[in-house]
Amino acid sequence: MLNRDTLGALIFLAFFTAYAVFAWQIPLLPFEEMDAVNSASIPKVYAVLGLMFSLLALLAQAIKRQHSSGEGWPQINLRSIGQTAVLLLLMWVYTALLEPIGFLLATSVFLSAGFFIMGERRWRVLLLASVPVAVVFWLIMTKLLGIYLVPGELWS
Amino acid sequence: MLDGILLGLSTALQWQNLLYVIAGCFVGTFIGMLPGLGPITAIALMIPITYSIDPSSGMILMAGVYYGAIFGGSTSSILINAPGVAGTVASSFDGYPLAKQGMAGKALAIAAWASFTGGTIGALLLMLAAPTLAKVSLSFQSADYVALMCLGLTAIAAFSNKGTFLKAMMMTVFGLTLSTVGIDPSSGTERFTFGNTDLLDGISFLLIAMSTFALAEALSNVLKPEVKQGNSEQPMQIGSIRLSKAEVKEISPTIGRSSLLGFIIGVLPGAGATIASFMAYAAERNLAPKAVQEKFGKGALRGLAAPESANNAACTGSFVPLLTLGIPGSGTTAIMLGALIAYGIQPGPMLMQDNPDVFWAVIISMYLGNIVLLILNLPLIPYLARVLIMPKAILTMMILFFSLIGVYLVSFNTFDLFMMIGFALIALVLRLLAFPMAPLLLGFILGDMIESNVRRAMMTSDGSLSIFWDKPLTLGIMLLAIIVLAMPLLSFLRLRKAAV
Repeated sequence: MLNRDTLGALIFLAFFTAYAVFAWQIPLLPFEEMDAVNSASIPKVYAVLGLMFSLLALLAQAIKRQHSSGEGWPQINLRSIGQTAVLLLLMWVYTALLEPIGFLLATSVFLSAGFFIMGERRWRVLLLASVPVAVVFWLIMTKLLGIYLVPGELWS
Repeated sequence: MLDGILLGLSTALQWQNLLYVIAGCFVGTFIGMLPGLGPITAIALMIPITYSIDPSSGMILMAGVYYGAIFGGSTSSILINAPGVAGTVASSFDGYPLAKQGMAGKALAIAAWASFTGGTIGALLLMLAAPTLAKVSLSFQSADYVALMCLGLTAIAAFSNKGTFLKAMMMTVFGLTLSTVGIDPSSGTERFTFGNTDLLDGISFLLIAMSTFALAEALSNVLKPEVKQGNSEQPMQIGSIRLSKAEVKEISPTIGRSSLLGFIIGVLPGAGATIASFMAYAAERNLAPKAVQEKFGKGALRGLAAPESANNAACTGSFVPLLTLGIPGSGTTAIMLGALIAYGIQPGPMLMQDNPDVFWAVIISMYLGNIVLLILNLPLIPYLARVLIMPKAILTMMILFFSLIGVYLVSFNTFDLFMMIGFALIALVLRLLAFPMAPLLLGFILGDMIESNVRRAMMTSDGSLSIFWDKPLTLGIMLLAIIVLAMPLLSFLRLRKAAV
């Protein structure tokens, strides 16, 4: 079975291969073509180094595997994976809604939804730990420090 | 130097800067106590705030946070055997057994005094070493800087956990590749932007730091809930924080030795507080008489004093290459370098001449930070320790919120937030695959500097690569980098040969 060291090396091998392809396509300006170091030189060096290290890591895994099965996978339960995935999605939704509905509403919803995802079910805690935080932060930023926070494009 | 110290004192002792040191120490202690969150996260969360204040105050605040986070990490190591940071793991070997024996207060007092002394000795050595090294480094040329940066990058990988050298190198190169995104400052050519105008200015260092540390660490704690979160059912009895004369006599030589060792290790690029604390612990165990040796791991006072003084001295030592050469030797100093660059200040040999207020204020604030930790934090430990029973839901959401809004308040661009979430996901996967994050940050921050110095060096040499080995100094540093790079590979091959 694929161990996590091999998988990591394969991911990086794929990334550095793609990076190398794009590095070799960097367009050079006419005056750069004779330069010893141009816009593409350093990315090309990084691409080669990255490929070299990821191939070495794969080679090391191949040698290691003759003696052991490599580093195992961490124990993670499905509930934690689900919670993390939903939190990532919540962050994405918060970012998407921040400017349209404004800081105060978006933050209050983001925090209370986050507390709910993390297992908090007491509605009083959900409200008290989210709305006051958003309001106090908004007051500090806008009134005290004079930093503009978007009020919401939909209603301004 | 006296002028510098006086300038540093006059800057650091301004009432608002004193408040920043105190606030930094408190916030750092608070975040450092939380298992899984370290000084890099603590400093990353502070960066958006530091952008609104002047550079000296910003650096003073971050230095306070750094010290506070290390102290906070020791507290959770001692009280619940859950080190907040890797640099305080060794402190739990004897600190936790002491706490279990009902001497948590004594253990915390030893940690505080050892940290204070380690930090003070470190600050004094920094005062002596930094100006001298800064003067020497004035003669450094672009090729020497490239060599030094290569040494820094290879050293942080070589000193990473056993068996993760290649992973650390891949992360370093990954960081370097991310630094090439955007318009090339020399020619104006677009690189890796894929036609997206939001990428023209490149990826901000704050975004990378926040997503790979603050966000990824908070999400990692959700993903792997087996991380200890304190024993809320059985609140730890703190007990007395007084030390007897005999105990002070026993730990004093240990603190002196370990502080010196810690500072020297801290100066080395890549080594840092973790290695310093383990080495000091091992050295002290070897030096101790047989009877005391047996106590190590079961609550030996020397076993706690050694790593505590060493890790604080190493933290101070790690500022030497940052302030004098402009090259960070650790993830924490890398993030500080990024903050300084964002201020428009270039750390390095000219920092002492161009921005003496920043240079000396940072050094003096380290000393002040130690005093603040000793005077204010130690008596408040029983109250601060309550943070360890804070609900995980509130903690996680606050970190996610402050990370996202921190980046938004700097750029006011939601594209950065989307990118941040993407990087957090990548960092989370890489953490699961046991890839270290600090090399990525170091590679990313040094990437621009390496590129500009390589160009400058190649221009002066008329395109000849020999500039990287012509001068004995450049050749020496390059050889050192090659040795550091080859060491883990040779040790791997030797181990394989032995296994066969």
